[in-house]
Amino acid sequence: MTRSTRLRFTGIAAVATVALAACGGAAGSRASGSSAPVDGGDLTIARAQDIISMDKTTTFDNNSIYVMEQIMEPLFTVSADGTKVEPYLATDYTVSADKLTYTIKLRKGVTFSDGKPLTAADVKFSIDEDTKTGGDGWGFINTAIDQVKAVDDSTVEVKLKYAWAPLLADLSLFSNGIVPNNYGGKTAQEFYQAPVGTGPFVWDRWQKGQYVKVTANKKYWSPKKPHLASVTWTVVPDANTRKLQLQGGQIDVDDTPDWSSFSSMKNAPGINAQTFPSTRMDYISLNQQRQPFQDVHVRRAIAYALDRNAMVKAVLYGNGTPATSLLSPGTPFFDKNAGGATYDVAKAKQELAQSSVPQGFSTSLLIASGNPDQASVAQIMQSELKAIGIDLKITQLDPTANKQARLKSDFDMAMQAWTMDIPDPDEWTSFAVDPAGGSHSSFTYYNNPAVIALNKQAQTEIDNTKRADLYSQLQKTTSEDAYLTYLYYSPYVFAMTDKVKGFAVTPLGNYHLEDVYKAK
Amino acid sequence: MLDRFRFVPLRLLQSIPVIFGVTVVVFFMVHLLPGNPALAILGQTATPARVASLSHQLGLDKPLWDQYLLFLGHLVQGNLGTSITYQRPVSELVLQAVPITMSLLLFALVLALVISVPLAAVAASAPGRARDLAVRAFTLVGQGMPQFWVGIMLILLLAVKAKAFPVGGYGESALEHWYYLFLPALTLAIAMCPTIIRSLRASTINVLGSDYVGTARSKGAAGVALFRLHVVRNAAIPTVSIIGVNLGYLVGGSLVIERVFAVPGLGSLMINAIFARDFPTIQAVALVVALFVIVVGILTDVVYTAIDPRVDLGSRELA
Repeated sequence: MTRSTRLRFTGIAAVATVALAACGGAAGSRASGSSAPVDGGDLTIARAQDIISMDKTTTFDNNSIYVMEQIMEPLFTVSADGTKVEPYLATDYTVSADKLTYTIKLRKGVTFSDGKPLTAADVKFSIDEDTKTGGDGWGFINTAIDQVKAVDDSTVEVKLKYAWAPLLADLSLFSNGIVPNNYGGKTAQEFYQAPVGTGPFVWDRWQKGQYVKVTANKKYWSPKKPHLASVTWTVVPDANTRKLQLQGGQIDVDDTPDWSSFSSMKNAPGINAQTFPSTRMDYISLNQQRQPFQDVHVRRAIAYALDRNAMVKAVLYGNGTPATSLLSPGTPFFDKNAGGATYDVAKAKQELAQSSVPQGFSTSLLIASGNPDQASVAQIMQSELKAIGIDLKITQLDPTANKQARLKSDFDMAMQAWTMDIPDPDEWTSFAVDPAGGSHSSFTYYNNPAVIALNKQAQTEIDNTKRADLYSQLQKTTSEDAYLTYLYYSPYVFAMTDKVKGFAVTPLGNYHLEDVYKAK
Repeated sequence: MLDRFRFVPLRLLQSIPVIFGVTVVVFFMVHLLPGNPALAILGQTATPARVASLSHQLGLDKPLWDQYLLFLGHLVQGNLGTSITYQRPVSELVLQAVPITMSLLLFALVLALVISVPLAAVAASAPGRARDLAVRAFTLVGQGMPQFWVGIMLILLLAVKAKAFPVGGYGESALEHWYYLFLPALTLAIAMCPTIIRSLRASTINVLGSDYVGTARSKGAAGVALFRLHVVRNAAIPTVSIIGVNLGYLVGGSLVIERVFAVPGLGSLMINAIFARDFPTIQAVALVVALFVIVVGILTDVVYTAIDPRVDLGSRELA
């Protein structure tokens, strides 16, 4: 299908700032295996953390989002490969000649789990509720929307303030998931205690700190789905305990085992340890408010000094690839020739020699405590930077304190990671290169007017070929500027018993449990 | 007889300033941590403006003293506040976790006694002989092994290999709860045993050498009957205090063990609350733990008084 249109973008780029990970919608059938799906059974997924809230409009926590996506569904969803938007609760749409009006047809025969039919009024209410949250929730994602109108029971009209390329991608975000009009007569707070949607599963109960459970929606619109009778997400903070629970047959899926457990489970009998392509990139932010990071030669020297292959080997046990661009390979318009630096000590020394600090300097790297991956990367970096004369001190702060330091740009260098929420690069590029995007260019204070202009042009460019070209230029220039030190791309990782079939994760991190079943 | 327990209400009264002290220390220590809950709640792209707005909404921008007085005011009314993470009353979360941790501790204590008493008796009945040496070796090994490691080993052996017990979690029904708690309780019990066995063994040897046991023996008492009638009660007195002190420590140990076994008790609640900077929850858990330690202290004295008729804590304290 055609990607949405784009024209002029006048709003602030903050519109496109979106939180880490999580993402909207999901995709069609991915059931694997040759035998027919088995109906029934409970799928138990163990994760390190509990959910926080089911309020789709204000929740930024992935664990919560992956659960709410099973209950509330958006009009569009991301394709299995994560690069396209597909109709979901919508079946069809048309765009006006001026690209300002989208007329969307709703899928017929869809009911909420309480039996009430899905209507355009529900859609209008759901999107408006999200928009209303503005900067305090996910509402900023809808900034381009002027109004949503229910034309008739099965037709919705979305009018835009200006043509906006990522509209359908935005509508595929979970925050635009559809709930009953007026929350079925409840307050928002009451409603999200036990949300109702059109999704394959129905809210059952939440024992805080222990587990959250959903059961099959008997009225689900996709015939014969879901296969599972219920899904339970249990809270198991310790990675080793999750691994043992999986081996002991107490759980079916271990969500995000650490890399060392993962490699040991790869060959374990009865266990299927799998990676799924993601949009995750780990990178270092170089704070240009601090010396000497305004100097492009210093930034390039650091970029050349790092052996990313060694990091992938040591940290990810080989399950990843060195990062070479601002965008990840799973993101639309990724350019594999973006020219990100690769390991070259001679070049690193040469760049440093040309810089304002030819004799080297001392600096620090902020990482999150309790994160073995970041600790290993930091140690590798320490020794590699030492080789070119940079003395690196490692600062560890627990995740919340770490975030505070990054928000205040209170660091020299900081290790960060990004995953996409929508299948459109704009979410990330506006955050990463536009100082007005809310984060001072990912907390670096990087400010290159040429790059900012490219990003704005790409937001409103209608033609996909031209858009790809704009994003290519953007990726090349940011690589030359080396304002972020790209580290590596890593996949999502799950371990499950070999009885679990049809479990797949999109590059945006979400999964479709209506396709999953447990073999006998 | 009851008169001897009149120290209990006094002790409870004395605990009020202790609890007050705990609230002061916990409240201000928690707020010394960098980072606030708004940061933990908002996503990666949270702008400083959004953090400020949410902080205001949560009342985190008020002066610390005001926040503390507000907390104290609510506490006096029995209101522990609202969890910032879950937006639910903290009391609800704590009430859900307290029975779990308490069951775990109680279970651990029972198991520790079931293991320790016979072993101590066996060892004390023949000091210096092979069985005594074996028991003493066991206590040394027990003391030397870190708790979390014992936990993981038990999981590997009894849960993963033998599949006799679940690897972790808490189960759904009451019966399941005990089944699920067995391994974590055993882990804690193994940590407690060495101290109990050593103390019990020493006091038993002492009692066995005393004149009245000699007299009892000369009158024909022997074996289990001798232990039951003449030895156990007297030998238990020093051990009771040791168990009391240990139970206090055990709460700390249970935090680690709850994590290893994914038991959703106070420890798990506390750790998550600290990472999320969920101040009201951290304060509530710290308070509950302090209360628990105080109650255990009082209970220890009650048991102490009950088994040794010569003890009269009341007279000493009231004098």
